[in-house]
Parts: sequence; C-alpha cells; structure tokens
Amino acid sequence: MRQWWSKIQRALGRRRKLTSELEQEMDAHVHFLIEKNLQQGMTPDEARTAARREFGNMATVQERSYESWQFPQFESLLQDIRYALRGIVKAPTLSLLVILTLAAGIGANTAIFSFVNAVLLRPLPYPSADRLAILWSGLGYSGRAPFSSFEVFQLRQHSTQFDQIAGIWVTNGALPGDGPAEQIKVADVTSNFLPLLCPRPALGRFFGPQDDLENAPSTIILTHGVWVRRFGSDPTIIGRSVRYGRHRSTVVGVLPSDFRLIFPNDASVPPNVEVFESIPVGPWQADGPAFLHVIGRLRNGATFGAAQSEMNSAAAQINKLGGRASMGSFKVSVFPLQADTVREVRPTLLCLFGGVGLVLLIGCANIANLLMARARRRLRETTIRAALGASRGRLARQFLTESLLLGILGSIAALVTGYAAIHVILAARPPSFVNFDRVTLDARVLAFTFVVSLGTSVLFGLAPVFSVRQIDLTRDLRESNRQTTGLRRRWASALVSAEVALAFVLLTSTGLLMRTFINILHTDPGFRSGDVFTFRVSVPGYAPLKLIQQKLGALPRVQSASAVSHLPLDDAGNWYDYYYREGASATEQTSVMADHRSTLPGYFTTIGAVLLEGRDFTDADDAQHQHVAIIDDVLARQLWAGESAIGHKINLSDSPQGFYQFQRDWAVIVGVVHHVQYHSLTAIVRPQIYVSYPLAPRPSMSFVLQTSGSDTGLVAAVRNTVDAVNKDIPITHVEPMQLLVDRAHAESRFASLLATLLSAIALVLATSGIYGVLSYAVAQRTTEIGIRMAIGAPRAQVLRMIFADGFASILPGLLAGFLLCLAVTPLLAHLLYGVEPTNLANYVVMLVGVLVVSALATFLPARRAMKIDPLTALRYE
Amino acid sequence: MSTVGDLSDDEKLGLLQGTLEVLILRSLKLEPNHAYGISQFLQQQSDSEFLVDNGSLYPALQRLLQRKWVAGQWKTSPNGRRARYYSLTPEGRKELLRATSKWERFAIAMAKILAPEG
Repeated sequence: MRQWWSKIQRALGRRRKLTSELEQEMDAHVHFLIEKNLQQGMTPDEARTAARREFGNMATVQERSYESWQFPQFESLLQDIRYALRGIVKAPTLSLLVILTLAAGIGANTAIFSFVNAVLLRPLPYPSADRLAILWSGLGYSGRAPFSSFEVFQLRQHSTQFDQIAGIWVTNGALPGDGPAEQIKVADVTSNFLPLLCPRPALGRFFGPQDDLENAPSTIILTHGVWVRRFGSDPTIIGRSVRYGRHRSTVVGVLPSDFRLIFPNDASVPPNVEVFESIPVGPWQADGPAFLHVIGRLRNGATFGAAQSEMNSAAAQINKLGGRASMGSFKVSVFPLQADTVREVRPTLLCLFGGVGLVLLIGCANIANLLMARARRRLRETTIRAALGASRGRLARQFLTESLLLGILGSIAALVTGYAAIHVILAARPPSFVNFDRVTLDARVLAFTFVVSLGTSVLFGLAPVFSVRQIDLTRDLRESNRQTTGLRRRWASALVSAEVALAFVLLTSTGLLMRTFINILHTDPGFRSGDVFTFRVSVPGYAPLKLIQQKLGALPRVQSASAVSHLPLDDAGNWYDYYYREGASATEQTSVMADHRSTLPGYFTTIGAVLLEGRDFTDADDAQHQHVAIIDDVLARQLWAGESAIGHKINLSDSPQGFYQFQRDWAVIVGVVHHVQYHSLTAIVRPQIYVSYPLAPRPSMSFVLQTSGSDTGLVAAVRNTVDAVNKDIPITHVEPMQLLVDRAHAESRFASLLATLLSAIALVLATSGIYGVLSYAVAQRTTEIGIRMAIGAPRAQVLRMIFADGFASILPGLLAGFLLCLAVTPLLAHLLYGVEPTNLANYVVMLVGVLVVSALATFLPARRAMKIDPLTALRYE
Repeated sequence: MSTVGDLSDDEKLGLLQGTLEVLILRSLKLEPNHAYGISQFLQQQSDSEFLVDNGSLYPALQRLLQRKWVAGQWKTSPNGRRARYYSLTPEGRKELLRATSKWERFAIAMAKILAPEG
C-alpha cells in the first residue's frame, strides 16, 4: 500500500517536472522562431505574433506530450475516485444505508465462511492429516462400532495400505498427583496412537513397545493442561512416579499445549481427555469386548479406496478366525478422519452458508435499487456531462468506481461485524461443533470476503451503469428528471420480486428449523430432569458405593438416590455389546446391539423412567443369586415381539469377578423399562440392557438424586457425605440433569437461532426494499396522482392503485419463492425432526407473514399518496 | 498549425506512421540539437516537403526519451538561450541503423513496383 502510494507520488512529481521542462522548452522554441523572424526583418510585435502562430497550439502540444507518458488513465482513475468519494459524502444517508446493508450481508457471509473454512476446508491439525483414516467395525445393525483388541491385531496383520493402525478408548479416571481427588477423562491408547496425531511431545517421550510388555511398570502421558494445573509446569516431572488413583504411575511424557483430540461425536472420544495410558494389542481373547476406536494412517501413495477394499478382505479373513466375528458377517469401514469428523456438522453449516448467501443477494437487490434510484435522480447531471463530451464508457466507469468504493467501505465494515459475529457464534455454539475453536479470520477468509465484496459491488454496481446506457441526450435534456421510464420501473419491480422470493425461502426454511426445535423441546427423553441432580464418582467397589447411596438417601432434601454407569444424554465413554435371546441362531446372535448399563436399585424411580413390566433390582440381585437383567421396551419388542419378555433368558457380557473381567453369561429378565434417550433426543440409537452393579462393577459411576426444595447447600452436603465414606473418592460434574438435556438441545437451538436471525435480517431488507421502491414510485407520480385527484379520483382509488402497483411485484415474488422452496427445503431434511420439508402449515404461516409485512410496507407509501394535496402536487413540478 | 511552407497543404507530404521518430533520430546523428533545430533540419533537408507539426514533434520526442533512444540535456545555445538539447544514445544509434536499412529496403521495393514498365 505504501509502495503504491509512493508510486503515485513519484508519478505526480514527474508530471510536475515534465510540465515545467516542457514549458521552458517551448518557450525557447518560440524565442528561436522570434529571432528567425526578426532576422527576416519583421518588427518585434510582428515577429512575436508570427512565431506564436508558427509554433501552434501550446496547450495541445503539452496535452499530447503528457499522453505519451500515459498519465491520463491514471489521472482519470484518481478523478473517478475523487468524484465517487464526493458522491458518497454528498448522500450520507444513502451511503450509510448501503454500507450497513453490506456490513450485515457480507459480515454474515464472512462469519459463516470462516466456520466453513475452519471446519470443512482446513485440514485437521495433525501431521499428514490427509492420510488419516477412521475405521469402524460393523456387525448386525450397527455400522459404526468399535473394535476388540484381537481385531485391531488382525487388522494390522492383514494391512499393507496402512503404515499405522492405532486405537483409543476413553473412560473415567482419577486425576494424577497429590491434592484433592478429581475425576477426569482418561484415554487408553495403543502405543502408536499419539505419534499419529502429534509430531513430538513437549517433554519426555511417547509410549513405546517397552510400555506394552507384560510386566511393564505403569506409565502415563499428561496433557499440557494437567501438567500446568496439577504439577505447576514442573520441568523435572519426566520419570517421576506420581500418585494415580489407588496406585502410582511414572510420567513419561507431556503433550504440547496445542494438542487436541478431534473425533466424530459418536466415537465417544471427547476432546477433554487429560491423561493417556498405554494399552497393548495382541491376538489373545478372540471374543474379547469391542471397545477400541481405531484410526489409521495410509501408507504414502495409498488411497482410501484401496484401503477399503483391503479392509474388506481383512474382515473376511477375521471372520474365519473366531470370536464375535465368527458369529456373523464382520465388516470394516474406512473413512477419511476429517470427513467423518464433520459428518454431522456439515449439513448445518452448508445450510447456514446458503442462508447467508440469500441474505446477501437480498441486500444486493436493495442496494441496486437504491443506486438505480439515485442514478435516475442524477440523470440530468449525467446527461449534461455526456453532452459535454464524456464518453459512455467513462460515465459507466465512474458509476462502477463509486459502487466499488462503496463495496470496499462496506467490506471493511463487514470484517468488523464478521469478526464480532464469529465470537457471538462461538459463544452460542453447541458442543457438537468440536472443531470450532479453530475459527479465525485467516488469509482464505479475507480473500473470500474480498471476492464477495467485489462480486456484490459489480452486481449492484451494474444497475446504475445499465441506466447510463439508456441515456438519450435529446430526450433526457428536454424531459424532467422526475419522470420514470417504464424500463426503470420494470427493473425495480423485478428486484422487489426477487427480494420477496429469497426472503420467502429463508423464512420457510427457518420455520421448519424452529418447528424442529420445538419438537425436540417436546420430545419425551424417557426420564424426568427437573428435580434431578447428578454427580460422578470414582469408586473402589460395591461396599462404599452402597454406603454412599444409603447416606445420600438419608439427606433431608433428597427423596431418592441411586447410581448408574452412564447418564442419559452423556455420550462419552459408551458401553455396548451384542446380546441374544435363548435359542437364537448364529446370525441372530450378532444382530442386536444394546447399551449396557450398570445400576443400583432405585435408578428408574429416581430419574422418573417408567417401569412397564416386572420389577426393579433389589439389593439381593447380586452374583450369588440368580443373574437378572432389566431391558427396555425397544429390545423387548425386538426379541420377544408380541409376548412378555419377563422370565426369558438373555445372553450378555458381565464381569462379576471384578472390573473388566468380562465373561458371557445368561441372565433372566425381571423387568421392562421405557426406553431412555441416552445419545440424542431425536434418535433411538440402540436399545438398553441394565444389569445390577454387583454383576457389572465399574470403577466410575454417576449418582442421580431426586431432590425437593432449593439446591443451595446440596453440593456441600454431597461432598461431605462422600468424604464421610472415603476422603479419597473423587467427585465431579455436580450438576442438574437439566443441563444434560439443555446440551442435547443445543445444536437445534443453535441452528434455529441463527436461521431466525438471518430471516429477520432478510425480512427487514426485503420490507425496506418494497417500501423504498414504492415510496420512490409515489414520489415520482406525485403530479400524476395530484391530477387524478384533481379530476375527482376518490382517495380509495389512489390507495388501490398503489397497492396494485406493490402487489404486482410481491405476488410473482411469492410464487417464485414457493417454487424455490420446493427445490431448496428438501436439502434441509437432514436437520429436521418431526416435520416434513413440505409441511403445509409452515407454508401457510410464512405466506401470511410475508403478505402482512409486505402489505404494511406498501401501506405506508400508499397512505402518503392518499394524502397528496392536488394543489401542492401540481405546483410541485 | 503547420510550419510555414510555400506549398499548399494538399501538396505537402503527410508523414507516415512512425516515420517522424526515425527522422528525428537521423537529425541527431551528427550533433545534438534542440526541438526548434530538429524541426528546421527536417524542413530544410526535405526541401520543405515535410510538414513538422509541433503537436507531433514534441510527443515523438517524449516517446524517444521514454525508450531511451535519445537523452535530453539543458544547454545554452550559441545565441545565449537555454534550450534542451537532444542527443542520440548508443541504443538510439542502433535503432537508427536498423530503421534506416528497413526504410531503404522499403523505398527500393516501392520504387520497383511503382517504376514505369520497360
């Protein structure tokens, strides 16, 4: 920019020098001529006059000499800019209106695009991110399931396309180090996992083969956050043995501060993992539990297609080996990690992107209208300039310069609004938009904004240029400049139609999203959240857990207390497996997958889940008595359709011997409970099986408390109760159940909120567009209306006339909008719940809405027309 | 707005596009000269056949300056007046050679075609 400016100055300086030199040179020339004339015997006066005549027109000589330096183009550009600036300053209201419209339109585009850029376009922040793949196992109904350790070992054996295959499983654990006990997310990873996502540790090393040996000492790697928070950024931490839960562990590495886990939401790998432990993978236990979420890095030069077909044959090989795979058709799917991660966010983002595009188009139409009206007002001036010899091209260029300048000012304002909008959206984003904290205004976003502003400026800038082309010198100089040509009216009316059409599309889409949000608010999650409090604990075993339950239940404001391994709508660290009824065929044995939950008695009544049949667990339902299970109605219908499930036997995986010591077992069904939404409010992902805690002990559990009265003091009471049992039990996430429900609403709330905002902008723009065009038309027709009224037209007729004028462009716009909706709204299907894109009621409501608003926008100018005083109107001309 | 001549405008020769610049270069071959001198030289050498319009001469000089075929220098003329003297640069000399041979070939070819038959 500075360089450019100095170039201009140099050019201007050179021009000044050239001017003075030329003048001196010509002066000398003339004097030579005078001397020659004097020698020829003329009088000094004659000699001077003759010399001037001989030399010719000095101004022309000068002008042509400049031209040879090509100054004029540059100067006329400066002139255009000066002229444009004057035009902008002379009409401050209009300019401000244009700039504000652009700030809103382009700003919204900038904001949404920076999300598209960060989430969909920018590669994940991992080395060789484009070669990272996520692998899912499929068996029976589910195509996105984890793998067992055995299967990961087999995949590695059969793979040539991947140079690494790694697994992760996230669970709850204790915060390492001394200090108050705290429960955190801990990841068990294969030793090659971290190097895939992180170039090098900040301190120490990653896990290696030595950590996978059978009697290797327990080692952990800390995230940067834990290292700072718990160990005060101690640089000597590496190799030190620290307290870790009930054991000790050696810290071997610290991750860099910018390391992040970015996984698909349904992988149950949350970004807030704080400690990593290594987990060996081997060919043992063919029917071991499937819990590892697997990623792989393609060999250099390998393709995802080749990897998928290789995994297909690997799956076939594994099928023959036994384990759960032997029971059915085991499949492996390979997806690029990036694409799979944004799978759910993508449609929302793209719809929003489309929405802001529509808003910008409406804004453009508005600005085009404003500028055309002004070009028309300036017609006399333009015509005079054309008559004085300005070429059409030059005039057109001037208008375009003005539009571009407005565009530039608008886009500067847009960057400011865009930046603010990014922060507002970041604050309101739902948790599922994990990658969103990488959103910034980077070079690509700036380039996008620049291109969009340029495009829009040309788009609305062409309107006045077009009007210049229509100049007819004789006609326009003669006629009053207040007369509107039919052509200009047709243009304005087409622009209004377009605005109405686009606004209608936005409103209809928003209506659908809002309907979806309302539907989601009213879904039955299968439990009561209003008076339920939750917190998580890491427990050493059944006895202390039972003790805590009893003590909590005795608290004054707690009506009942129980515990469960997984809270509803808290999707992290999920646990599911295959289940089958007695007598199931081999294929059926792997066709039903269900969530596996471990509970204490009283869980269902505490959260308000409805027991449909049979009974709840009792304290007697332990490993020594008959093994029992409770299932939900979805599973009951799947396995025993048309009969009661009570008394039937189901094969499941439990671990009465202790944590993680899984075995297949038979349990008798003693109860059927109504389905609880564990994953999302809208989808039944899997049916559920509940097992009593002694049969399925877990190191971490979530308590649920049904409370009455106020919550004050509850947290302290809970803390004291747990401390009274064991001071070393970490508790976290003391929060109302409602919070989990709110979090589950967040995505839909976010989408409908943004859509509502966009529609509101669109509606305001479209309304002001209609209002502007009609007001202008009324002002233009003041004389005509005056005459009509002077010769006796009733006011109602004038009103009708203006309304007819307005609706002549509104109604075609609505029709076009309706047709556009038929094409566009099906694209929203992914985001909708409980409402069809073609929902008639939605159309009717939005139609009425647009009609009412546009009638209002029409009424104001029409009323002004009605109030026109014929006498004043006639004098007005 | 032409330089004075004895012939009526119709009879005088208009300059072909691009020829003026070659003629200016030629006029500077022997010694540097100022704009007035160049126009006098051209008029005299062509026996007043060529019109040298200042509206063409000055822009042509500017173009030659831009191409660095001539260089300008302020000097005092023999009769004591400061004027800009143009002189050929080495590139200008090369260009003159190139243009001269081109024009000679052109003139010969024209003459061959236009010459009376036989």
